[in-house]
Amino acid sequence: MSTVASMTTPTVTHAPVDTAGLAEKVSIRNLDFLYGESRALKGITLPLYKNKVTAFIGPSGCGKSTLLRVLNRMYDLYPNQRAEGQVLFDGEDILSPKQDLNLLRARIGMVFQKPTPFPMTIYENIAFGLRLYERLSRAELDEKVEQALARSALWDEVKDKLNANGLSLSGGQQQRLCIARTVALSPEVILFDEPCSALDPISTAKIEELIDELKADYTIVIVTHNMQQAARVSDFTAFMYLGELVEFDTTTKMFTTPGDRRTQDYITGRFG
Amino acid sequence: MMSEHTAKAFDIDLQEIARKVTEMGGLAEKEIGDAVDALAKRDTALAQRVMAVDLSTDQLQREIEEKAILTIARRQPMAVDLRDIVAALRLANDLERIGDLAKNIAKRVVALNGDFPPQKLIRGVEHLAELVLEQLKDVLDAYAQRDLDKAIVVWRGDDKIDAMYTSVFRELLTYMMEDPRNITFCTHLLFCAKNIERMGDHATNIAETVYYMVEGRALADERPKGDTTNIAPVPMRM
Repeated sequence: MSTVASMTTPTVTHAPVDTAGLAEKVSIRNLDFLYGESRALKGITLPLYKNKVTAFIGPSGCGKSTLLRVLNRMYDLYPNQRAEGQVLFDGEDILSPKQDLNLLRARIGMVFQKPTPFPMTIYENIAFGLRLYERLSRAELDEKVEQALARSALWDEVKDKLNANGLSLSGGQQQRLCIARTVALSPEVILFDEPCSALDPISTAKIEELIDELKADYTIVIVTHNMQQAARVSDFTAFMYLGELVEFDTTTKMFTTPGDRRTQDYITGRFG
Repeated sequence: MMSEHTAKAFDIDLQEIARKVTEMGGLAEKEIGDAVDALAKRDTALAQRVMAVDLSTDQLQREIEEKAILTIARRQPMAVDLRDIVAALRLANDLERIGDLAKNIAKRVVALNGDFPPQKLIRGVEHLAELVLEQLKDVLDAYAQRDLDKAIVVWRGDDKIDAMYTSVFRELLTYMMEDPRNITFCTHLLFCAKNIERMGDHATNIAETVYYMVEGRALADERPKGDTTNIAPVPMRM
């Protein structure tokens, strides 16, 4: 393991992050990503700490969503896209061709920008995924569905209408339903891709509150364009620009006294 | 100089706040100079004018606060921008206090009305005021130019003022002990000197704020302390 410790990108401001007591759940090492010939990520080296929230920020096209999509091999769905380097998940390289993608996506769940409930009942939205992985009795299934909805702060709002269509819920509720669907599979890591960009402020606050609670059990990554949101919900922040990791540090440091001029210009709204 | 914000109006807001702080600094300097002049020349009319100027200082402080709060609410400033605004709020506070202290000196000039101490004693207070004015001017320059070195020089310079104050304190004390009839004006004078010494402390505060604004962290060292009157032994009469 010690051999890779020196694999740092020279462009990154590596501040002395106090990592005592933190475990690296995911270690991204020298990661490159290519859309055909075009290099969207260049030599990214980044830790994702267990039970912490890490935010990826940066202007459009900086590669933050691409990086998120690498973490559960989402790009495998498309031809001509490939990743080079290493992404160690509990020490195991998820970029390896031998990786079982279904298992990987159960362990690393994802919540998307727009709520994407299945066109079925609220109950089925959650039970559907559970049935794919486990053979459960009706009572067990009921219990797991309730747990997932409670965990996502949605149970009280939907417990009397579990047979209503998932699409009948409000946008914020739909997003929490999607989080419940992800949580139901007991993942270890949850990836949030702009989870609040389509939501009103109250729903946004609920999701942020939820992220804060979820990090006790999961490792969380969030991509967001909303700088204040990154500052509010995350423990660590990575600022990316033009496919490179510019700076990675504690969120407190990043939003008060960033080390790199480009980070400062971006977070204070002076970019471009 | 800092590059511009994508939202130009944000730059204008920040400039406006900084401009008001500078204006307030100018008023505070004038208040000190005039108050001490009024004391030296026994000019009660000038002292009255100082009290009037202090109202404008207070008004400016309120304007800076309003503008700062509005900007925070509207722009959610981060990092260096947030520190700029917090610094402006702190400076406005310190400058308002300095204005009050100058006003207090002016009030004492009016109260003394005729019962004036010898020039020799006033000279000590005047000299103290000169030192403070210099400190204040330098620290306001440091603020305007974001000059860390200058701020640190001011920060380290406060012990000169404290030492000077200690010597004025001793002089006045001796004078009071010589003749109880001196006690009234000496007490007023002592308060004036203490007021000026306090202004120096506010200048030191401002130096710390400027450092924080530029560097994003606090000046860590122990603050220099030269005012020893609180621990100085009182000279005993035989």
